[in-house]
Amino acid sequence: MRRRRAAGGSGAGRGLRRWAAAAALVALLAGCAPREGVEEIHYRLKWLYNVSTVGDLYALEKGHFARAGLRVNVKPGGPERDALKELELGHAQFGVASADQVLRAAAKGAPLVVLAQIFQVNPLQWIYRPDKSPFREPADLRGRTVGVTFGGNDETILRALLARHGIAESELRLFSVRYDYTPFYEGRVHFWPLYINAQAPIIGERLEKAGEPIAFLDPHRWGVRFVANSVITTREMLRQHPRTVSRFLAALLEAWREALDPANEEAAVQVLLAADRETPEAIVRRQLPVTRRLMVPEPPAAFGRIDEAAWRETEEILRLQGLIERPVDVRSLFAGNLP
Amino acid sequence: MLHRRLTQFFTLYAAGVGLLLAFKVALGLSDYVIPGPGEIWRTGQTYGAAYAAAVLNTLGVAVLGHGLSIVLAAAVAVIARLKDWIGGFIRTAAFNIQSYPIVAVAPILFILLGDGLATRLLISALICYFPLLLSFLGVFSEPVREIEHFYEATGRMTWRLQIKIRAFENLQKLTTVVVGSATLAMVGTIVAEFIAATAGIGYSIRIALYQSDLAKILVALLLIGVGTSLWLVLLEGLGAALQRRMERP
Repeated sequence: MRRRRAAGGSGAGRGLRRWAAAAALVALLAGCAPREGVEEIHYRLKWLYNVSTVGDLYALEKGHFARAGLRVNVKPGGPERDALKELELGHAQFGVASADQVLRAAAKGAPLVVLAQIFQVNPLQWIYRPDKSPFREPADLRGRTVGVTFGGNDETILRALLARHGIAESELRLFSVRYDYTPFYEGRVHFWPLYINAQAPIIGERLEKAGEPIAFLDPHRWGVRFVANSVITTREMLRQHPRTVSRFLAALLEAWREALDPANEEAAVQVLLAADRETPEAIVRRQLPVTRRLMVPEPPAAFGRIDEAAWRETEEILRLQGLIERPVDVRSLFAGNLP
Repeated sequence: MLHRRLTQFFTLYAAGVGLLLAFKVALGLSDYVIPGPGEIWRTGQTYGAAYAAAVLNTLGVAVLGHGLSIVLAAAVAVIARLKDWIGGFIRTAAFNIQSYPIVAVAPILFILLGDGLATRLLISALICYFPLLLSFLGVFSEPVREIEHFYEATGRMTWRLQIKIRAFENLQKLTTVVVGSATLAMVGTIVAEFIAATAGIGYSIRIALYQSDLAKILVALLLIGVGTSLWLVLLEGLGAALQRRMERP
């Protein structure tokens, strides 16, 4: 490159090289989908390594991907990561995203396909102190202060819950939630959103140690079905590499089934502890059974079952709240039978 | 001055958005990754007024925080010029403290002060305070020998006169530092709102990021740029007016 530059050349030659360099840059930024046979795969998770990613980590550690002939780079997600954008830009071939993310993207024309639904029940719930803020039904939210992450899916779920039970937003106070639980510990906020499988065992332990009884408000129980994490890819990937998609999905779902099988609990805990060094072992052991209850569907449904009715309801919630501008045909998002 | 600064900003903004749109077309990306011009326009119409109010809110806090920092930095620099060791100590402390990332400090402030005005104001002031302090220390500790010598020799030198001489001789430098740190105050306030507030344009950006809505962020960036440009022009005007007044016989 340096030699060619030094050689100079005509204006037309320089122009051609600039175009070539620009094209190379665009190709580099776009990334390249794996060709059949190469099988180098990037898989972007929704969040950091934690109990909600145990099956993904298990597939990697226990060789499920390798046995399927795939070299998978499992990348943790985070608040500033968006697997859907990475898929479309070609930086990843598979990803995990919540249904509201998928529907928002689909409403804007993103070419996505849902391969499997990881959570059968949304893990988002609200923790509260039953002695200080008793809750028997959603009407008990009236006059209370309820935490929400404005812009997050907990805000959407809470609004859906209020609408379903005829509670006006003016009848309660919404409190903007951050990562810090102090307002809840201090009792300034009566209901605080958290993930029942990941955060509740940590927060619950602290409050139990302080002698405070805790309970959880589960929107699912009160009629709000809002789909959480699913495995996704792009239409292009599915069209061009159907066998790779099929092998990836089969390996991943098998790993999830094994990781959540009580017979493999010890192995699953060790896999999690190796990846997530911040969470104590005792907490991980409490997180895993809760995760199992939320993810494993009722037999005879297989792990990863896509709950079409719940997807329809999620789409309707987003549409009624004005979070998507146009309706999305949810069935068109599902991959269907793979080879 | 205003026209030039706004033209510069709009040119840069248009170039940035143009580059994004070129990228979108070249790679065939959906509106989810990069919104089209129609969506950006519609978002501007829908959220423009609310975002403009949020920018004004942020700007108000940034101006307050900046003013607070200027007063504090000037006061500390004036005291520090009395002894070399005081100036050296404050300079070292300032270097150390400003090396802490504000994203790590903000949650602590949030716990202590809550998510209201105080946290935003303090973070805004913290971010622009140390660069101001270091510059003011440099200006007020450096004697202007050829002028100060006369007053010292005639026994008419007072500390107020000394400050005036040093400020006047470095007015251009001080104005540049004050204007430069104004953008830091704005950035600091936006960061504070992003991390630990429930108002201002930083908070709006946070919500837009949760919703993966780049169109909202582009509208917010446009309004932040306009707001900051207006403020900087105002500061430059004040600096020029002050200089004219001091140069008057």
